[in-house]
Amino acid sequence: MEKNILFRRGIKRQKGSLIGISLLVFFTVLSLFTVLAVSLNGNAYIRSEMERAGFGQLTAWVSDVPDVGDLLQEISSQEGIGEVQSQNIIFSEYEGNGIESDSEGQLILWQPGETRYRFLTDDMGGYRQAPEEIRQGEVYVSPSMVSIMDLQVGDTITFPVARGGMNVDLTVAGYYEDPFMGSSMIGMKGFLISGADYGQIIETVEQEGADALARSGAMLHIFVQADGEAEIDQINQLLNSQTSLPEYTEEIHSAYTIGSFMMILQNAFCAILAAFALILLLVAMVVLGHSISGIVEQEQKNMGILKTLGVTGRTLVLVQEMEYLVAIILGSIMGTFAVIPFTRVISAMTVTTTGLLIPSGIPVLPCLGVFSVILLLLGGYAALRMQRILHISPMEAIYDASVFMRSESRRKGKEKSASVSSGIQKNGLVFHLAVRQLLSGRKRYLSACLVACFLVFFASLAGRMNSWLGTDGQGMMDAFNPADLDLGVQAMGELSEEEMEAVVRSYSMITDSYDLAMPTVSVNGTNYTANVITEPERFHISRGEACMDPDEVVLTEVTAADLGVDVGSTVMIRGDTGSREYTVSGIYHCANDMGANLGMSRKGYLSIGQDEPRIWCHHYFLEDPSRKEAITSALETAYGGDVHVHQNTWPGLSGIIMAMHLSLAFMYGMIAVFIAIVTVMAGKKILNAEQRDLAIYRSMGCSAGMLQVSFAIRFGIIAFAGAVAGTICAAVLTDPFVSAVMRLAGISNFASHPAISNLLVPGAAVTLLFFASAWLLAVKIRRTDMNMLTVE
Amino acid sequence: MNTILQGKKISRIFRQGSMRNTVLDQVDISIYEGDFTVIMGSSGAGKSTLLYALSGMDPVSGGKVFYKDREITSLKEKQMANLRAKEFGFVFQQTNLVSNLTLFENVAVAGYVGKKGSTEEIRDRAGRLLRQMKIDKAQNRFPSQVSGGEAQRAAIARAMVGNPGLLFADEPTGALNRSNTTEVLNLLTDLNCSGQSILMVTHDMRAAARGNRILYLEDGKVLDELRLPPYSEIREQNRESKVSGWLSGLRW
Repeated sequence: MEKNILFRRGIKRQKGSLIGISLLVFFTVLSLFTVLAVSLNGNAYIRSEMERAGFGQLTAWVSDVPDVGDLLQEISSQEGIGEVQSQNIIFSEYEGNGIESDSEGQLILWQPGETRYRFLTDDMGGYRQAPEEIRQGEVYVSPSMVSIMDLQVGDTITFPVARGGMNVDLTVAGYYEDPFMGSSMIGMKGFLISGADYGQIIETVEQEGADALARSGAMLHIFVQADGEAEIDQINQLLNSQTSLPEYTEEIHSAYTIGSFMMILQNAFCAILAAFALILLLVAMVVLGHSISGIVEQEQKNMGILKTLGVTGRTLVLVQEMEYLVAIILGSIMGTFAVIPFTRVISAMTVTTTGLLIPSGIPVLPCLGVFSVILLLLGGYAALRMQRILHISPMEAIYDASVFMRSESRRKGKEKSASVSSGIQKNGLVFHLAVRQLLSGRKRYLSACLVACFLVFFASLAGRMNSWLGTDGQGMMDAFNPADLDLGVQAMGELSEEEMEAVVRSYSMITDSYDLAMPTVSVNGTNYTANVITEPERFHISRGEACMDPDEVVLTEVTAADLGVDVGSTVMIRGDTGSREYTVSGIYHCANDMGANLGMSRKGYLSIGQDEPRIWCHHYFLEDPSRKEAITSALETAYGGDVHVHQNTWPGLSGIIMAMHLSLAFMYGMIAVFIAIVTVMAGKKILNAEQRDLAIYRSMGCSAGMLQVSFAIRFGIIAFAGAVAGTICAAVLTDPFVSAVMRLAGISNFASHPAISNLLVPGAAVTLLFFASAWLLAVKIRRTDMNMLTVE
Repeated sequence: MNTILQGKKISRIFRQGSMRNTVLDQVDISIYEGDFTVIMGSSGAGKSTLLYALSGMDPVSGGKVFYKDREITSLKEKQMANLRAKEFGFVFQQTNLVSNLTLFENVAVAGYVGKKGSTEEIRDRAGRLLRQMKIDKAQNRFPSQVSGGEAQRAAIARAMVGNPGLLFADEPTGALNRSNTTEVLNLLTDLNCSGQSILMVTHDMRAAARGNRILYLEDGKVLDELRLPPYSEIREQNRESKVSGWLSGLRW
């Protein structure tokens, strides 16, 4: 019974602190569960959709196959192959809203009544019925085309089908969910078209022959036998060596690889947000600890009295623990309920980047697991901090604790007074008073300092990631390109290299350059794009060495996994003039063709391929990279179709940048909320404890405004101290920490470049936020009642 | 006699829900320059409330307060703070020293806030006052490290550091033992003798006898007034008898 009364009284008395804890737990749980929901739901949804839509464990994109039926027969007769299905497609470049595609798109024939794809409403907020038919002249596109080319319903996409201006213009009629190629991270895009358009384009391609730009092809979905024991890469090798598939293959990928690419963005950002959520959890723990210390200090006398009445320390701990558990559980439950609408919002906001609507349900078991961990962690920590209650002496209730303190401090008077030197000065009185209050009550501010440290660390880390990414995604491009560049210029006609360079130099000095060609080669029988470079040391190597010798190559993780090889293995590569064996000297990073590529040196390639001037793209580093647009425009105006100019960017990048900015906005918003809560919780306690001092200051003639500023300065100082620690931590830990996260996205060459902006801005922002929150909270100083100074 | 502080029809009503408690009921009061004015009254008579209303520490519910002919009841918060810093000094029953400032700092900070003089001048004045109060040896100690008498003397030094026009004292000896009480009263008397205007609230007849003008407050109104000649130690017994007789007449 007494527990019940104490519990209810405690809840009432500490409701401010408990609400604060509840809110912190709410936001922490919301962040953690949202990350879990987005990541797990997204992954599960893509896998299930791929299965439902009939994509095999292995998919090959083939073109110019004389008889697809014979090829299907040949493949399905192999050991371990269960079934092969084909989907007719046409490969074609495309252009929309003045933006040219980087990769070929795939015009997919869609038959009325087909259930393979799910169609989205025009606002992309939900699903709609599949159309009865796709009318001639219409096309359905992935939502990611909005972020790539800003394609809206009613816009036109142009497909150059054959030379001589034989283009096909199709109007966007709506959006569909493509679990296979929908993400803006994947360059090749699917377009659902009508049978009539499909037939007409195929007819044009056949009629135009060598002048055709589009090519007929198919997606072959290969299913392995259910009881088969062969691994996917073994099946791949089997098909490459035993069938004619390699002769027609444009690309071949496993379902796992495709799924990973579809989720690459979500996984990378979820990893960052998960790390952030863990920081929030740490912050919640710090605040919880601080709150408990404050309560124990404040309630010490009452607890002593209760002990004199026979209430045991354990009972008091239990009552306190229950109060905090109620707050923690309440926050967790609210956070859990908020996950569904929050995930729905995230799903809607990211659909134009991810290409699909991530389901908003709660993954029950993982969330339950995380919930248990949070409960154990926070509950256990709270119980640990409450052990002090057991040592409270009932004597402190009988004799006023302050009497003890006074006699004790009088005894220590001499030593203590010696430590106080000149102290308060007239100039900067407000600041000096703030410092004195801070130093005399430093334990009360410790939580704010720690919280500032954690938040600045993460804000700084996120800021440095953002600056690495850059406003135009330069960092990401550098990571995804085989080698860095500012501008690439490829002569398609008679234009000479000297002439091109002269145009470039007329705008900016060229500080460095190298050449890159991207011919198709066959590796162990499978076609891949080879990034052939004049300076192989420029490749972004994550393991092993660059291919400096002519008999060496580097592979991406994807290619190595597809081929089942690793550093030190040998691969047989065939070019257009011959073939030979190469040693894999290293693993490198390049996301082109969804990572299905390899890197070779120019010397290495020339032993199996032809050297033609037109295959080389000249990559330049400019003294003034801001002139890239002007140079591109000048070259295109002067040489038209004879020159292909590209910058270090690609259309899907805007989606990534948007996602990054959304994550940053979310994190900064959360940081602001946390700072406000922490300041209110810590500040309220301090203000309550200092009511008398504040009244004294006011009786001395200090204005409320002056005391308000002095109070805010204290938080500013303590936040600044935390910010300095956080900034140092970020400077030391950002690169290894983010690199570990970025590896999930296939990027291993993350190296942030410290700048004043990303080094100092987070710390300054957090310090200012603490200052502002404290200043706002301290408005209540104006209501300080000086009557408390009187005894009457 | 110049009026330094004047209250006209001061009312102070406390409200709690529908309950109204009229503590001061249209009080008219004048405090004169150079006087040691004492307000007495039974417990709950509104003595401290009147003191705080007159000093602007607590807002009045009605009426006006004038300090040197300037109305202070309508002053804004910042103007009022400035007035307190420059013209008023306060001594409370509980010493109300800032706990994390040393005695010296408590005095000096009040001087800094008042901005009367340079840093050196204020520090000198603070040191002088602490010597005068005979607590200069404890000046680097915190309030929790000194006796109640020492703390109260520091509080008086703090009140005096800005050379206030009027010193308000709210039961300054209420929490002190006999010897400390005498010390504090002597200090206040000395200050008054040197020309300091003092307005003190007390229920201690011995303390009241130090004043030259005693007002008796009852039921929120000034009921009576006693005038005494300036204080002299030799006639202390006589003063206390006069005060005692006067209070008896008021059924105190």
